[in-house]
Amino acid sequence: MSDAETPAALAVQARGLSKRYEEGRIVALDQLDLDVRTGEFVAICGPSGCGKTTLLNLIAAIDRPDTGRLTVAGRSLADLRGVQVDRFRSAVVGLVFQLHNLLPSLSILENVQVPMLASNHRRGSNVERARHLLDRVGLLDRAAARPPVLSGGERQRVAIARALANDPQILLADEPTGALDSKSGDRLLELLGEVREASRTTLIVVTHDPHIADRAERVVEMLDGRVVN
Amino acid sequence: MAAPDRSLTLLGMTWRNLYRQPLRSSLTILGVSVGVIAVVALGTLVRGLWSSADDAIRAGGIDLVVYQKGVSWDVLSRIDEAETRATLSRIPEIADATAGIMHYIPIGDRPIVILLGIHPNEITPRDLSLLEGRRFASRDEVLIGAILARELELSVGDTIELQGTDFNITGVFSTDVIFFNGAVMLPLKSLQQLVGMVGEIGYCRVRLREGADPVAVAERIERENPNLTTIRNVHEYKKIDLSLEIADDVVFLITFVATIIGAIIVMNTMWMSVYERTREIGVLRAVGWSSRRIMGMIIVESAGIALIACVFGSLLGVGLAKFAASLPIARQFASPVFTASTFLLAISMAAILGIVGGLLPAWRAARISPAEALRYE
Repeated sequence: MSDAETPAALAVQARGLSKRYEEGRIVALDQLDLDVRTGEFVAICGPSGCGKTTLLNLIAAIDRPDTGRLTVAGRSLADLRGVQVDRFRSAVVGLVFQLHNLLPSLSILENVQVPMLASNHRRGSNVERARHLLDRVGLLDRAAARPPVLSGGERQRVAIARALANDPQILLADEPTGALDSKSGDRLLELLGEVREASRTTLIVVTHDPHIADRAERVVEMLDGRVVN
Repeated sequence: MAAPDRSLTLLGMTWRNLYRQPLRSSLTILGVSVGVIAVVALGTLVRGLWSSADDAIRAGGIDLVVYQKGVSWDVLSRIDEAETRATLSRIPEIADATAGIMHYIPIGDRPIVILLGIHPNEITPRDLSLLEGRRFASRDEVLIGAILARELELSVGDTIELQGTDFNITGVFSTDVIFFNGAVMLPLKSLQQLVGMVGEIGYCRVRLREGADPVAVAERIERENPNLTTIRNVHEYKKIDLSLEIADDVVFLITFVATIIGAIIVMNTMWMSVYERTREIGVLRAVGWSSRRIMGMIIVESAGIALIACVFGSLLGVGLAKFAASLPIARQFASPVFTASTFLLAISMAAILGIVGGLLPAWRAARISPAEALRYE
């Protein structure tokens, strides 16, 4: 992909991204360049510690690069400040974590509503939308259940429903099948594919899982904080 | 399982967060409640003292009470009886004046019993009602209040020893003033001798003629005799006795200390809670919750603890005040008075400690970096 591609067609455009930790001793990203087209399904692969999760965190605006320029859904993240960052996280991206990170004290119906509290959704419609999303991931009949009583695969399906709560333009998933057996992982991948097809969402998945790489439209290989393919 | 139709709210999340650690939340609420209990119980008892003092000042339709100027405790007031009566007799608006002495002594195992000295001919039906017996007629006779009679199991015909002198009980009385129902009433001259105040009195209770202006009369009394001061109600009581003001100050001090301790307890609990929920807070930040909303959630939680403690502590405080007022030593002085101001004080205390106790943990929670929190184990 070239620099000449129109920004509107790109969900993510990263140029010269660098990120270091522990006072610069650990290089997580090193002058990384990446383009992801709107609606594309990209799998980011590479060995542990190559910077995959760091890249995902930067795209989700939950961390900031030390240097470089990052534009996501047409917004330059370096220009966002304070509540603009919160609004971006709430409205533009949806996150699925490796360990689901559901709130154990809330039912799964309530967990799906958590991001809605940060957005401008009308409260009356929140519960209806949460029910719709749980139905979409096949868990409406367990809406009142708490996360601890669900299987790993069910929890990740709830996490996908939560990530979709505010109709994100970009769905980011960090090792979504990492803690699942192969059968549950396959079902989750099918679900992610369906969700993407239905909502034309850009899907970026960080993974070690070759099944995900096989399903992705494009595989981005990373090594030592750089894209190598 | 049927899906609930409730929308998630910040308050709903607050309740769940408090409920997830029920023992810790309960102990915190209990700790804060102790302070609220103290504030409510002491506050209502002190209000009761104020009310009793006001009753004592106004008993029998009294308009003014004259004391020695410049004393800090009413029982220390000593004024010349003849000189005082002469001053009052020069003021035509005064209908009548009743001289008296109030003194405190221990009797038996009761540390404080009030002695009231009054001239036999100045006792009116408005001052007291006799439950049994008759008024005293000679210097070795006394009346005792109904509470004291019950506590000491004394009745008409018995004798009572007052500072080494035996007195015959001729009657048992009751009044609308709780103070006096635990008192011994005896002839003024007897009490003057007993306490070494021959020719002196402690106070003079003044009733005015119809239409007289109490303020103008009070000013004239103080002008004619600069050794005298007057009080018209309990709010002027501090002119001759600082004990009620001191009691109020003690309640304020206890409220202040209880608020600080409560705030520290709440802060400790919320700090632990935020620490344990670092990852969760990171998730909330990652899904778009603003730092302000995170702060709001923590402060609402700490305010929730304080509010529950306020309600719980107020109920127990009312119970404790009633129990304390039923004890023999307290029963003769006051019964608790439940005013809105006492409960407003408890609510204010809870609000302050809830917000102050939650601020630092909330500030910490708001500063949690989502990226770091998501790495947190």
